[in-house]
Parts: sequence; C-alpha cells; structure tokens
Amino acid sequence: MRNSRTALFLCVVLAAACKKQTASQEQPSGGTAPAGQTVAAPGADTIRVGATLPLTGAEARTGGFYKEGYELAFEEATKNGGVDVGGKKMAVQLTLLDDTSTQATAASLADRLINSDKVNFLLGTYATNLVEAQSVVAEQNQIPYVNGGGAATAIYKRGYKWVFGLLAPVELLAESIMKWIDTQQKAGKLPKPATIALLWENTSHGKDFRKGVTEFADKSKNYKVAVDESFELNGKDFSALLGKVKAANTDLFLADAHLPDYITMQRQYVTAGMCHKIQSYGARGSEKQAAESLTPKNVQYILSAVWWSNQLSSKSPEAKRFVDLFKAKYGGRAPEWYQALGYETVRALFAAITQAGSLDRDAVRQKLAALKIPSLLPGGELTFPAEFGQQSHAPFVVQQNLPDGTSPIVAPPDAATGMGIAPNPGCAK
Amino acid sequence: MDRFAELVIASVLLAGLYATMAYGLGLIYGVLRIVNLNHGGMIMAGAYAGWYLHSEYGIDPYLSLLPVAAVSFLLGIAMYRGLVHRLPRGAAGGVQSLLLLFGVWLVMRNVAYLLFTGNDQTLRTSYSTRAAVLAGALVSVNRVAVFAVALATLIILHILLTRTYLGKAIRAVAQNPDSCTLVGIRVERIYALTFGLGTALAAIAGLLGATLFPFNPSFGAGELLKSFVVVVLGGLGSVAGTAIAALILAAVEVFAILFIPAYLTAAVGFVLLVLVLVLRPGGLFGQRVLG
Repeated sequence: MRNSRTALFLCVVLAAACKKQTASQEQPSGGTAPAGQTVAAPGADTIRVGATLPLTGAEARTGGFYKEGYELAFEEATKNGGVDVGGKKMAVQLTLLDDTSTQATAASLADRLINSDKVNFLLGTYATNLVEAQSVVAEQNQIPYVNGGGAATAIYKRGYKWVFGLLAPVELLAESIMKWIDTQQKAGKLPKPATIALLWENTSHGKDFRKGVTEFADKSKNYKVAVDESFELNGKDFSALLGKVKAANTDLFLADAHLPDYITMQRQYVTAGMCHKIQSYGARGSEKQAAESLTPKNVQYILSAVWWSNQLSSKSPEAKRFVDLFKAKYGGRAPEWYQALGYETVRALFAAITQAGSLDRDAVRQKLAALKIPSLLPGGELTFPAEFGQQSHAPFVVQQNLPDGTSPIVAPPDAATGMGIAPNPGCAK
Repeated sequence: MDRFAELVIASVLLAGLYATMAYGLGLIYGVLRIVNLNHGGMIMAGAYAGWYLHSEYGIDPYLSLLPVAAVSFLLGIAMYRGLVHRLPRGAAGGVQSLLLLFGVWLVMRNVAYLLFTGNDQTLRTSYSTRAAVLAGALVSVNRVAVFAVALATLIILHILLTRTYLGKAIRAVAQNPDSCTLVGIRVERIYALTFGLGTALAAIAGLLGATLFPFNPSFGAGELLKSFVVVVLGGLGSVAGTAIAALILAAVEVFAILFIPAYLTAAVGFVLLVLVLVLRPGGLFGQRVLG
C-alpha cells in the first residue's frame, strides 16, 4: 500500500509537470508555423527576420491577430519590390515560429532563430511575460529586437540597448482610463469619493496597471481603493474573487486582464449579477470575440484604453492606409489594435533598416534608437525615447462599448468619435 | 444573505464538479490498481464532445451527457481491451501503465490541437450567464445544473456499486480478484467495464466543466491534479469519502480568498494534499472498499 501511495504521489508530480509542459507543446506540424511570407530563397539579397508568436496556447487568438499584422507588412514590402537598403531593394523573409504562449519556449526559439536560423533581426512576440523572457535573449545576442506586444515598464527599465517597444506603458493606460473617469466625476456623474475594486493579473503588466490606478487615486484624493487583489494569469474560476468584490460594493470595477481572462471573468461577473457604475478590463473590452462569447448585451458600457483603434482612420492618413490595406487583404474585416501594432512593428524595423542603409545590426539599432517616423499610432508619430528605455509613449485612446454594438473613442477629446456614458445605466436601480 | 452563506453555497456547487472529476480516477485505481493518467485526456475529450455537439448540431450540453457518456464508456472498454489489458498486473505493470496512459493522453491532446487548434473555446448556451436566487444568494443557473448532474451521477454510481450484481462484482474484484475467479466472476470483464465506467465519468466531468469554463486541448491537466487531491483526501475507493473530500477541497479554495491573495488560492488544495499525505497517508477517511 505504501508503494501505491508513493506511486500516486509521483503521479501528482508527473501531472503537475505535464500541466506546466502542456502549453509548450508544439503544434502537430512540429511547432513551426509556415513562414509568413517567403519572397525568395534566403540568400545574400534577402533580409531574414525572425519572430515568434503565441499561435497555440492561451494567447493563440491574439497571436493570430499579430500574425495577420506581420503578414500584411511583409506582403506590402514584397509588393514594393522589397526593402530599400542603401539604394538597393532587398527581399524580405519572415521565419515565424509558435512559442505556444510559454516563456521558456519563447526564449529558446529566439535563441534558435538567432544562432541556428541566422536571422538578421528579431520581431517580438505578444504578451508582456513572453516579451520579458525573450528580450533577454535578444540583448545577450546583440540583435535588434522590435516588439509590439510587451507593455510593462519592467521590460524597458533594465537598461537594454537592443530592445524597442511600440506599446506605451500600462501605467499610462491606467492613467488614461482614470482621467476619463475623473472628468465624469467632476461632471457630477460619479460619487465623490468613489470606491474602486482593483483586480490585476499577477504579472508585470498587472502591476503596472495597479500602479497607474493607485498613483492616480492617491494624487486625486477623490478615490479610495477598497479591494486590491491580484489573480493568476489564465485562471478558470474567478467566482471567489468576484464574490469578494461584490461584498465590497464599490463604485468602480477596474481590472487588468488579458483576453481569455477578461472573457472568463466577465462571464462569471454577469452571472453573479454584478454591476458597477464604471467597469473596465484595462486594454480589453471592445474585442469582437468577447462580444461573440458573452453576447453584446453582457459587454455593454465596458471601458477600455487601447494603443490603437480603427476609428483613428477618420483622422490619421497612416491609420487609414493601414485599414484599407487590411480590409483589402482580409475580406473587408476591420482590424483591431493587435493587427495594427503587429503591422507597425514590422514597419518600424524596415524603416530603421532603410535609414541605416545596411544590415549591420548596430547601425540598425542606432537608427531605431533615433527613429522618428509618421505613424498610425495615436499622436501620429513613432519614437523610442531613450529616457523611457526605448519604449514608445504614444497616447492611448479610451473606448466604451455602447448598446448599439459600437465602441466609440471617448478620450482624448481630439480623437473622440462619440460620447461616453457614466454611470452605467444598467445598474441604476 | 451574508458573505459566509454565499461562500458555503459556492463551495457546495463547486464540490459537485470536483467529485465527478475525481470519482472516475478513484474507481479505476480502486479496482484495477492503475493510475489512469489519461483521465485528463478524457476530461478534455468530454469538453470538446459537448462543445462540438452544441456548436454543430445545436444539442444542449446537458442533453448530450448521455450520448457522450455512452461513447466514452465504449471507448474506455476499447482502450482497456486494446491497451491496458496487455500490461502485466500488479507492481510490475504500474510504471508501464503510467507511461502508456500518459502517452495516450499526449496523443489525444495533439489530435485535439490538430482538429480544433489551440484556441480557447467556450460552450455558450442561452442560460450560460443566467442566474437564480438560491437561499437568498444569486447563483449561476449553470452551476446549479452542474451540481444537480454531479449529484445524480454520484447517487446512481453509489446505487450501482451497492445494490446491483455488477456493483457487488466490482467491489469483490477490488477486494480480491483471485477469489472472484473461483466463484465465477469474470474478472477481465469487470476490469473492462470498470475502466469504461471511469472513462465515462471523466468525460461527463469534462462536459460539465466546459459549461462553466473556457477550454483548449490542454484542458484536463489542472482537473487531473485536483482529482488526485480529492482521491487522496477522500481515501481510495469511497464514494462518500470522495464527495466529502471534494467538498473540503472546494471549501478550502473558496474560503481561502478571505485570508490570502486570490492568485494563491489555487495552491491551497495542494498544500492540503501534502499535509494529508504526511499526517494521514491513508486519506482523511482511510482505505475502504468501493461504495
């Protein structure tokens, strides 16, 4: 019997290991997704770019969006005859691998791309935790690493020279949401002081969000954080946590979650009969997949701050050009911020290569550090400021889901395409 | 309705799912002395089966419970006859069965990746987000339904094991397979039926879990771990012990939110597992014969 107990205990350990390993399983094809675009067989006249994305696992859906952005940018470069390098057009080749949404795989595949596949440059993966792990490999190997998927300031506070990020910090995201809430409070639409239930995923991303909200609340004195809880990334059951939020009876519900957690948590939130005057999941809220999974009614009035919105196309020629290109390639479907950031990441790298006039890694790195190009991002310009560790600080756009299914930009005022509603009329009673 | 009562209700509802998840594992181990590592794979398969029937044919997940259970039962028997049956019995076959069933799990998971990709799926019905008032607390209709099915499954299983000839035969084989052959019980047949039953229970648990949580091909790994905790806590082979252990695990997880950060609550069950293994290696309710 003692032996069987031991065997059972070993099984637990084995199953735990399996759980950990699960996400790192490569696709049946061997884990290598087909290269996004292969213009020609790799040769001296080809710029080889390596990238990984979470094409399977928890972030598979978002990884697929980034892939669309990457593919569009490579296709556009190909149609233009390649990328201009010192007056000569060079073909581009993307080697895109599936990092299965796990840190270890993201890091090891980056190493493989650099040292086995001998790529010239790296594009980053998606999600802060993966970029955090992968960027270390890029820095160690001194290869330019441009990413549009890592937003946490922790990535850029390490003094790395080879890492460039297009996503503005999550702290700014939280601040953008709080600023809009503050205008509503000043207009007398929200109680003063307002109590906040603050939930954040236990990652650098979540910690930045928490910092942004708490710093704003501390400065303003008109907000009190009544619940301050973190949760496990890719969780399944948030009912106990939501029970705690419900018991606290706060005015505002501010959470920072990735898409799968947002969908899971919101489903349980609705089922628990919860309603807050303001509800936000940080950058998540306006995604079509969420409305499909939860029904549009259950995502009404959710506030989100994102790095880009296709509504910017009415005001920005760069954004309009991208939206038109995307719709032409993907059957009229409108892009979300994920595809836009993927596309812009590639464009930033190609712009730096052209400016450097060579494939020399250090020359391209220097051009990236000094880059200043018209951009589809809010603010219309892309830079990687050295004072912020080469992380873009482009402003955010704040959106709110409305009952008619639209999610107009409600802030900043110069980009606004609609009026926001506060408090949530659905929970007035 | 105070917070305490709400947490109690949440614990009880969650316990139903945990008990269903665990009993298949405990049943197979209790009778065949095999740790079915493919339990996680069948949980995942049950989830996808329910989702597929719903999304392709519009069949309500609760209506698809019976066909899914029946097919899984047959699949379990086929798996026993085709694979497990060939392994040596006793300690010699222990490690081999672990590896074999772990391999089957990996194959199933990769087939799911191939068929359904790695995207998260949700089983959304018209009542997915509907709530009802229960003892003054607002609870998810889906969770109540899952609990009701789980309870019914456990009652049926209990009756099967204690009141029927088949159940008695299963319990007898669990006690002493050699003596069973002497009195005419076809032990191999009982083994196959038990393996089928355990497999069907795993699929039912997976389908029920899919109505509550999103899932992808890696679904089942966390559930297998929780099943281990319940089986070890409850003592192998006891229906009542399994149910009480499931309730303890659910209560510990739910109430932990009052004392520790939310992201640590998932670890509480495993701390409990270690404590029980150290302090009461036979489980909280000791070793009992099935039923």
